[in-house]
Amino acid sequence: MILSLLRRFAQTLLVLFGVSAATFLAMHAAPGHPLQANPELRLDPTAVERWLQLRQLDQPLLSQYLSWLSRVFRGDFGDSLLYNRPVVELIAERLPSTLLLTVTAFCLALFLAIVIGIYAATRQNSWLDRFVCTLSLAGISVPNFWFGIVLIILFAYRFPLLPSVGLRTPGDGSLLDILRHMLMPLFVMVAGNFAHYVRYVRSAILDVLNQDYIRAVRSRGLQEKEILYRHVLPNAAIPIITIAALSLPRLFTGAMVAEYVFGWPGIGRWIITSTMARDYPVIMTVNLYTASLVAMANFLADALYLLIDPRTR
Amino acid sequence: MRRILVIFILLFMLFCTGCQQETATSGQSLHVAALTGPLTLNPVFLRDSASAEIAGLLHPQLLVTDPKTLAPQPRLFTSWQLLEDKLTYIFTLHEDACWSDGKPLTTEDIAFTLRVICHPDYTGWLFLPLRYIAGAEGYKQEHRSPQATGELSGVTIIDEKKVQIRLKEPYAPFLAMLTFSPLPAHLLQEVAVADLEADAYSQELTVSAGPYLLADWQRAEYVHVRANPNYFLGQPDIENIYYRFIPNQEAQLIELLAGKLDIIPTAVRVEDIKTLKQNPDIAIHTNPRLVYDYLVINSQQADSALADKKVRQVLAMLLDRDEVIKNLLLGYGEPLYGPLLPMHFAYNETRKAEKVDLAAARRLLVEAGYAELKLTLIYNVGNTVRENVALMLKEKAASIGMEIKIELLEWEAFLAAVNEGDYDLAILGRGVEADPDLSVHWHSQSPGNSLAYHNEEVDQLTAEAVTTSEHSQRTLLYRQAEELIIKDVPAIWLYVRQAVHATNARLENFKPHPDSLFFNVHEWRLASEEETP
Repeated sequence: MILSLLRRFAQTLLVLFGVSAATFLAMHAAPGHPLQANPELRLDPTAVERWLQLRQLDQPLLSQYLSWLSRVFRGDFGDSLLYNRPVVELIAERLPSTLLLTVTAFCLALFLAIVIGIYAATRQNSWLDRFVCTLSLAGISVPNFWFGIVLIILFAYRFPLLPSVGLRTPGDGSLLDILRHMLMPLFVMVAGNFAHYVRYVRSAILDVLNQDYIRAVRSRGLQEKEILYRHVLPNAAIPIITIAALSLPRLFTGAMVAEYVFGWPGIGRWIITSTMARDYPVIMTVNLYTASLVAMANFLADALYLLIDPRTR
Repeated sequence: MRRILVIFILLFMLFCTGCQQETATSGQSLHVAALTGPLTLNPVFLRDSASAEIAGLLHPQLLVTDPKTLAPQPRLFTSWQLLEDKLTYIFTLHEDACWSDGKPLTTEDIAFTLRVICHPDYTGWLFLPLRYIAGAEGYKQEHRSPQATGELSGVTIIDEKKVQIRLKEPYAPFLAMLTFSPLPAHLLQEVAVADLEADAYSQELTVSAGPYLLADWQRAEYVHVRANPNYFLGQPDIENIYYRFIPNQEAQLIELLAGKLDIIPTAVRVEDIKTLKQNPDIAIHTNPRLVYDYLVINSQQADSALADKKVRQVLAMLLDRDEVIKNLLLGYGEPLYGPLLPMHFAYNETRKAEKVDLAAARRLLVEAGYAELKLTLIYNVGNTVRENVALMLKEKAASIGMEIKIELLEWEAFLAAVNEGDYDLAILGRGVEADPDLSVHWHSQSPGNSLAYHNEEVDQLTAEAVTTSEHSQRTLLYRQAEELIIKDVPAIWLYVRQAVHATNARLENFKPHPDSLFFNVHEWRLASEEETP
């Protein structure tokens, strides 16, 4: 088992290396550079040249990549070309507010999905089941973006009860203030995630419920509750864990809809604007970080399978 | 279940009614919207509009230009004098100008800032306009120390508040180029110029001299500035200004309508103006800008039909600018037919527009030998006015047998295509200086001549025009040069858009400058709610 985990680990490292090389190439193949002459502004070609020189961006690509790699091994991820500050610092500034929103939304949505999914699956075709199915279908079909704007129009404009943008009122920032700002984006995110998860949970449980061994334990006269907790849930857990684990990386890369519609100060928009602006060190670091998260999530899912399902051991 | 529901409802009500008053600050507060946050607070490395806007709050300019006439006006320099030789200026600094750490702002700071700008490792945008200072180019080439030490031969400190600046040749726009802000020499003279942009000063701005001082910068949320009690033009009336980053305009509007924002600057959409004007709590302000949009023609490729002047003239006959202003800008702009802006003193009001004459355009096109012609027009994502201009042009061109293919590009890809000349036509914007100096963009040797435009006569006229400070003579020369440029059709000028700002109606003395939103911010005032009718 340890051997197979080690092998997985080595594979992961190789993948990360491949991702960094591919990102580096793709990034430099894209047209433009961070201080590209903008014809709309007063500009100074010699200053641009000196700027590129000072940041070693005039070196051949291979040597740029190797120097980046060697710095990464020493734990130095470089400075943002736009902000002139360490990339790690910039990530650390934006991550807490992102996690506050995404992790809360993830936990709430998963919890609700499991509770309601079980409830619906065990009462298949009841009115509640149908209601849950319709609701999740609606949740998947309605674009988050639109839903967010509708909420803003309703609760920030027509009935101005809640703030529409930001993490807090500048100058306030008390817990209550943050919670009030969080309410709408959280609701939109929970609704979207819940709609996804609940379908998985429901179908995973239905799958197990229709298995022969469940019929067998039922025929032995076990109580429904006991059947559910001892036999159905452990067997339905694998697909649920998979979907949950695979959503983990997304928690760290931001919540674009919330960040755009509700102006939530997260990491996602920053990643996109940095990419648009060809902020090379940011692009490299963020890609490496995202790839590591995905790899870690897969790793975690595998480890959890080992724990839960004896067959995978 | 029911109990949980009740608790939820109660919690919700608590959120909704929760504490709304500000606790951490005292005095009046003004909330200004921005689409993005600044990259730097260092006044000599401004490259993006948010940083430039914030700089207007934190840093005083040496000189300003009049928001209407663009004539140079005193600010940190309270007066100046041009000596007989037409090369030497003597500037006097404001008596009360001081840094926020109590040190006086002196001519040593001015001399230091000029050395930084002329240093070989300086990578901001300010060197080009200041290269006319005697010794500036020599310093850039020969200075060896990583710090901005030594001196510029053209800059002589007379005393703490008087400095003499000598130019290498007469350069009339010089005063209009002194609108930048100084750095504190006593803090930064030990810093290598190459490290200056990344220095903590650019982020923390512990010391500055503007109307406001940095209080707090939440990197992804807002910049909070507080009135500078020792500002040399008097302490501003409004105590706090929050510059909030709100990435989408709908949210900005809702915040404004909900009374949580006081200014949406510059880019209020013209289609929203009518509704906003009906709201008694909101005022709309407009001012002209020093930016124009134009259609760039790539005539550099030898095999292109666009190398033929007649074809370019055909293009110039297609677009009705008045229609663009009326239908796309809803009147919030002015048509433009040449490189001089209506705000410039040299602007020629009597200049007539080219006639829009499709039949004549068709005849000229056939005469040039292009009965059929295919061209590619590029523009950038996210500018609906440019998009509609492109469509309008395509339609008009189709009616005379010219096919224009429209390509929409992401911003960086668009810039790359423009810089590499990989296009036939492009719709671009261009920022111009307060001085009408046409040599910046149209002199064949100028670094700002991005279209590689070349006309000997224009070179001569524009070079001559900067040697005299007589407005009447300069006007004459620039108008001649403008006529020549227009005749060559290197581009087709479209319009100057107005900056449209929506503000809280209680905001008084808000008079934005074409180059600076926070112009004279120390005079702004928020009337209390009882004062307003």
